[in-house]
Amino acid sequence: MEKDFIPIQVDFNKNKALVKRFGVKWTPTIIIFDADGSEHHRFIGFLPPEDFIAQLILGKGKAEFNLDHFGQAMQCFQEILVRYPRADAAPEAQYLLGVTKYKGSHDPKELKLGLEVLQRDYPNSEWTKKAQVYALIP
Amino acid sequence: MGKQIKWETSLTTAKAKAKKEKELILMDFYNNV
Repeated sequence: MEKDFIPIQVDFNKNKALVKRFGVKWTPTIIIFDADGSEHHRFIGFLPPEDFIAQLILGKGKAEFNLDHFGQAMQCFQEILVRYPRADAAPEAQYLLGVTKYKGSHDPKELKLGLEVLQRDYPNSEWTKKAQVYALIP
Repeated sequence: MGKQIKWETSLTTAKAKAKKEKELILMDFYNNV
């Protein structure tokens, strides 16, 4: 974890200024942000180790995506799909992989291909619903 | 046995480290009930 993140723990009851600043209402809340303070991902609740790790990788991938580092973002999303395909973060990773490929190539077929994988591997996911519109791509 | 995580407690220190090491910050809000 320390390879990719600077970890900081905040006591919810003793740091009301930070709680208010980040709009935290429940614990545990994990927030991933960069040195400039831009937030990239957050999740709440206790997760099993595999889901927790997958969420951290997803957060890193979203940060890379937001910084236009599409190659690094793709690596993160692919890592989730290879190592943690059953994690709850995996359908979002698949969705974002298609979007990231599209952003890098400007080829809309990547979005449609992403939808096909979502329909095959995660048919009941909200991310498959969100990608449904890409079926209209010729 | 996993490696012990070295948690920061100051946001200022964490931000300075993140800037220097070009890393992200992972902030964990916890509650000792």
